[in-house]
Amino acid sequence: MMNNILKVGDQELGSRLFLGTGKFSSTQAMIEAVKASGTELVTVALRRFNRNQAEDDLYGPLSELKNVRLMPNTSGAMNTKEAVRAAMLGRELSKSPFIKLEIHPNPHHLLPDAIETYEAAIELVKQGFLVLPYIPADPVLAKRLEDVGCAAVMPLGAAIGTGKGLSTANMIKIIIRDANVPVVVDAGLRAPSEAACAMEMGCDAVLVNSAIAAADNPAAMGAAFKTGVEAGRMAYNAGLMPTSEVAVPSSPLTSFLSTND
Amino acid sequence: MTKELPDWLSPDRWLPMAESENTDAIRAAILSGNPTERELALMLSPAAAEFLELMAQRAHAITKRHFGQTISLYTPLYLSNFCNGGCLYCGIAGDRRAIRSVLNETQLQREMEAIKAMNIEEVVLLTGERMPEADVPYLRDCIAIVAEYIHNVNIEVFPMSKIEYRELAEAGCTGVSLYQETYDQVPYEKMHRWGDKRDFFNRLDAPDRALNGGLRSVGIGTLLGLADPRFDILCTYRHAKYLLKNYWKAGVSISFPRIQPQLGGFEADHPVDERMLAQYIFAMRICLPETPLVLSTRESQRVRDGLAGVGISKMSVGSKTTVGGYGEESEDSTEQFEISDERNIPEFCEMLRSKGLDPVFKNWDATYREPAQYQNT
Repeated sequence: MMNNILKVGDQELGSRLFLGTGKFSSTQAMIEAVKASGTELVTVALRRFNRNQAEDDLYGPLSELKNVRLMPNTSGAMNTKEAVRAAMLGRELSKSPFIKLEIHPNPHHLLPDAIETYEAAIELVKQGFLVLPYIPADPVLAKRLEDVGCAAVMPLGAAIGTGKGLSTANMIKIIIRDANVPVVVDAGLRAPSEAACAMEMGCDAVLVNSAIAAADNPAAMGAAFKTGVEAGRMAYNAGLMPTSEVAVPSSPLTSFLSTND
Repeated sequence: MTKELPDWLSPDRWLPMAESENTDAIRAAILSGNPTERELALMLSPAAAEFLELMAQRAHAITKRHFGQTISLYTPLYLSNFCNGGCLYCGIAGDRRAIRSVLNETQLQREMEAIKAMNIEEVVLLTGERMPEADVPYLRDCIAIVAEYIHNVNIEVFPMSKIEYRELAEAGCTGVSLYQETYDQVPYEKMHRWGDKRDFFNRLDAPDRALNGGLRSVGIGTLLGLADPRFDILCTYRHAKYLLKNYWKAGVSISFPRIQPQLGGFEADHPVDERMLAQYIFAMRICLPETPLVLSTRESQRVRDGLAGVGISKMSVGSKTTVGGYGEESEDSTEQFEISDERNIPEFCEMLRSKGLDPVFKNWDATYREPAQYQNT
């Protein structure tokens, strides 16, 4: 059996499902979903760290979970400088080696800024972070980020919170084909079947937030995504039958022809 | 004297649709995948009222998808009620008999300690019109003090110049609310009897100046009841679209203050009842899925509870509309408007939680605090 441990930099993860922690109806609902999902890596926005009020703080309760590692993220940063500052602060507070680098200067659609993200990645790698950048599904950008030392790349399936699934599937396939670092589909996934689909395509992991947080039963949806990711990974490892544009008959029409030997 | 609204703002093309009685077209607008001015106008029409529940369902689903099961909270903080403004509808206008006061540094610190004790991380600082008692240097000093206590400092004050906004951004101000009150110049002139505020276009351009000055977000809206609300909502939508296009990194939010027919002495020429208010909020949510929509404590407990998460994504809490309302024991200054929802923060949060909504106090971090730049750097 193929080794199913995911290596991100020097860190090993037993689950290929990463979770976002915003948008839940309560911290309790979020924690239950995290547990049910079996995830070993969750991301928390620095802006949702609240040291002054335990009830409003997402970091504290998550840091108490066993087997779950925290990855601060820079959501809210508009440019390289702010993202680097947020990452440093996040590391100081969480002691995590991971940083989810996200720079989305437009607060409405939250799509990532490729240029600022690239610049920030260079700096954060230099500072010793395991950098996981959230990026547009751009195969060239993905390679550029790999070249500067990112530990993984996280192309979007669709815009955050839209639930439009693997809208960028064709570009993600190219990213996967070319990558030497893990490829994590981040954002856009609505259903466990889409997570399975991403894993079947050869993604190394998926990151899900809205689909679980906005479900009627987040814990059950977390468990459903766990199963979806595992099924997709198993199928990928098992080797999917290739697709074909034409039917392949089981009784070939050319078997009567003599062979050359 | 009125002059024509600029093309980017004028809603004239769509106004006839806001009178539509074509229920098939209205239903299609509500369910449209890509709503624009046309669909908004149809949803604002009186005939759309019969689809209120359908609109609510759609608005709820969109709010939940984009904002999750959360409501962001903020608190207003009145710095000063000195005002020489001539706003007919306002409790602290220059000709009102009002007890005037302005917070000094010690009093502001006392207010902030009280606000901090309520766990608030976002405030809106308010004043009246530009006055010697509360001018730009005063505001700058207040912002710097408040920024020492909490993460997110916003203002709702008089319009100013780009350079003045810049000064405030550098002091730690994040955003500004600048309600046009109405986009219809005829009632605008009637309502604003004298003073700087009579300059309609100076106010209209203020969000541009604020963003160019380095603020990160603007809140816009009208005081519903002053003019035809369909005209004002369409203009608000067009104004938001204009700002989103021209300042693509800026946050733009929309508020829905309303003159309540049953409160205060002022009679609205175009009263907006709570069903109309809900209809306009739902329509705006359907047309602007990603824009924060804000509701204050002007509205009643019942209306606020019902709209939380159903279109509305951000709400004020624990509001005092008097100067020194949080820290001082006596409240002897005159309030700007009457509060309808008087619940304290724990009570309000309990209501949110009972509806499956997580109250979010801190949704931004002071580490991002620096003037924004909208042009290419």
